[in-house]
Amino acid sequence: MAVNVESYPARVPWTRGRFASWITTTDHKRIGILYIATSLFFFVAGGILALLMRAQLATPNESFITKDSYNELFTMHGTTMVFLVVVPILAGFGNYLVPLMIGARDVAFPRLNALSYWLFLLGGVVLYGSWFAAGGAPKAGWTSYVPLSEQTPGNGQDLWILSLHILSIASLIGAINFLVTIWRMRTAGMTRMRMPLFVWSIEAYSALLVLVLPALSAGLTLLLLDRQVGTHFFIPDEGGSALLWQHVFWFFGHPEVYVMILPAMGIISEVIPVFARKPVFGYTAIALATAGIAVISLFVWAHHMFATGIPIGLQAFFMISTMFVAIPTGVKIFNWLATTWRGNLILDTPMLYALGFIAVFTLGGLSGIFLAVFPFDWQVTDTYYVVAHLHYVLFGGSIFGIFAGLYYWWPKMFGRVLDEKIGKWQFWLTFIGFNITFFPQHMLGLMGMPRRIYTYDHGGLWEAYNLASSIGSGIMGLGILLFFVNVIVTRRRGERASNDPWLADTLEWYATSPPPPENFAAPVPYVTSPRPLRDIRRRLKEMRHL
Amino acid sequence: MPPVRARILVLAGLLVLAALALSGVAFAEDGGFAPAGPDSPNGERIETVYWFVMGFAVLIFLIVEVALVLFIVRYRNRGRARDVEGPQIRGHLNLELAWTGVPVLILIAIAIFTFYQLPGIKDVPSAGAAGSQLRVDVEGRQYYWQFTYPNGVIAIDTLRLPVQRPARLEVSSPGEDVIHSWWIPALGGKIDAIPGHPNHTWYEPEKAGTYIGQCAEFCGIQHTVMTAKVEAVPADEFARWLSAEAQAQEAGTSNLGKQEFDGVCAKCHGLDGKGGIGTNIASSAIIQDRESLETIVRQGRNLMPPVGADWSDRQMDALFSYLQKRFGSGG
Repeated sequence: MAVNVESYPARVPWTRGRFASWITTTDHKRIGILYIATSLFFFVAGGILALLMRAQLATPNESFITKDSYNELFTMHGTTMVFLVVVPILAGFGNYLVPLMIGARDVAFPRLNALSYWLFLLGGVVLYGSWFAAGGAPKAGWTSYVPLSEQTPGNGQDLWILSLHILSIASLIGAINFLVTIWRMRTAGMTRMRMPLFVWSIEAYSALLVLVLPALSAGLTLLLLDRQVGTHFFIPDEGGSALLWQHVFWFFGHPEVYVMILPAMGIISEVIPVFARKPVFGYTAIALATAGIAVISLFVWAHHMFATGIPIGLQAFFMISTMFVAIPTGVKIFNWLATTWRGNLILDTPMLYALGFIAVFTLGGLSGIFLAVFPFDWQVTDTYYVVAHLHYVLFGGSIFGIFAGLYYWWPKMFGRVLDEKIGKWQFWLTFIGFNITFFPQHMLGLMGMPRRIYTYDHGGLWEAYNLASSIGSGIMGLGILLFFVNVIVTRRRGERASNDPWLADTLEWYATSPPPPENFAAPVPYVTSPRPLRDIRRRLKEMRHL
Repeated sequence: MPPVRARILVLAGLLVLAALALSGVAFAEDGGFAPAGPDSPNGERIETVYWFVMGFAVLIFLIVEVALVLFIVRYRNRGRARDVEGPQIRGHLNLELAWTGVPVLILIAIAIFTFYQLPGIKDVPSAGAAGSQLRVDVEGRQYYWQFTYPNGVIAIDTLRLPVQRPARLEVSSPGEDVIHSWWIPALGGKIDAIPGHPNHTWYEPEKAGTYIGQCAEFCGIQHTVMTAKVEAVPADEFARWLSAEAQAQEAGTSNLGKQEFDGVCAKCHGLDGKGGIGTNIASSAIIQDRESLETIVRQGRNLMPPVGADWSDRQMDALFSYLQKRFGSGG
């Protein structure tokens, strides 16, 4: 019986339109771009919330935004940046790149993949819809500690719960999809130890999400029941526990931190070798460190709870497990440094962001060691020291990595190279603005400024550091703005990209820029090393010499 | 020198000068490079641990950043073509073992030093130079701190402690309240006040003075104004104050009512009672009637939390008579 394998099922006419084709797409590349575009939209929204907070804190006793409005701002800023920006934009990169990098035609479950994206968008809409809810947006912080989050009147908090429920399902579906794709769909010859390091990181990202999201969902359900049905899971007077929520939340929440940083590290591990014109130093060590960080991250959650008075023995355990994370992280930093040694360092924008990542992430990692030492943590937890630390790892880490990735893969995604001149301006504004914003916050925390306060009464250095921080945030905002200027400029008159503009190592550059719906027009060659594209270039060169 | 490079040098020089000037100011004012204070033995030991960790942190930071800058300068592209490759080095086992092993040793050192200092940070001494241990109950409530001394004296937001005498603080929050965190930066680390989960910490102020702090765990709309103060006074002066205050509170002549109004009511209703996020109470009928006042203070209403759910009659009387004096028709 003859089966025509060449033709795909015909598309229903109404799905062919420019707009409708995006709504109905199951192509991992288009879904990846939808993820990235939506996350960038929320990045701008969350960034504006942050700028409003910095404006309020610029000088003492300001009354620009106070009390409940301020509480809504930091709650929405944190929730947005974690759940609607960093996690989904990394899912976007994973979607776009994993099938291409492993030489597959698509992800394992393309329709589930589409469902995952649309649920993510729905979750975002529900969260932002809460501004219009009775009582306004949620205002108990992105951590929503009980009993406060149980007593908050209005429905903002309920919509927060609903939104996170939806986003958890979206992430869970996406994570399972990634795992099956990575485990089952690698091209011939791509053994585990030949997978690109970015694919290793998406595997760790997905495994962690599958392991910890159910804990978040369970916690959210208990919180919702307490609020709406009158159960007493978290109410001590009725036999519940006010601490239980923190355990459940951080059992999810700390691995979530590594969910947000591991793929960014994966991006750095791809960018640095290509722009240093060397193989990555210690591929095996970096791959194993990625897996190692993921495993250890499941055993560190209570370092967020040192000041809650949990038994000293437990505090000691969580201090040591937390310090263990520093070992594989340090291995990565040193391996990246060694990769640049004796290289031919091409300082294009992706590389600037990657090197900037090393420069600032190191500081974030070191302040993490301080925070692991629990007696010192008693001093600085819940202060601006923690705000500084978390932004050094989440902005200086994840967001710098994401920008490195955007500049690096933009030519593959859209066939044009982002403008280098604007890119460099963007990098320097962001880098300098970032450090001016967040470095002084270490000192503010040590001097005694708690998080989540809408104003302060101190002059002198408190005022100076806060003002510096606010000015820095403005500089950083300009830098981010330049990225969008760059996107528009590049779209109009950007330089056309070849299939492999950076002379890279991995298979996505074997496809055209942008790739056709089926990804690879020609069969993918048998993979014999972690750098298949370099192997191909070398073989071509040898053939030309013959 | 080409003009571009000259300009870069001038700019770099200016930046360095600005940084020096700023850090000069910062150091002159004890610019927040170490924990505030500390003026209590536990706080001091925390600072010792901090500097111990800082030694290694600075070392690692310098190694990474100096290597990074050196490599960027030394191995930058300098017009080489993109396809010029560096040496294809894939790794170096001994080197990698070294930068895995040495950090392990550093972390072990940090852990050992921390555990060595730990007893001096967490264990409450039974006595100090000026006397034996004093116990005070510290309760975090939306949005004030209530202190109860062993002889029943109650204080709001300002905790008076003797110098050189250890004070064990039993930190808690009532069952119907939310989580707060007790923190006086210059005296020691924070400890959370959690409903249903009592905790403790301690201070032994080394010298007389006023130490300020504020609630460190986000606790709702007025979290920002939930401030606290420790007034450390010489031990004999403290003992005199404590017994005099006990008599005054017994007789109803203390300033407890004012403390309650300033610390509990005024944060929302304004020091003049004319309202803030709370309503205008200055002319309200409720404060004229002991029973209505008690009902609203014990049970709350709308957005107002039950701020004094478990207040004693004496506390209620003190508030009522202060409000009478302050806003009453006779006032």
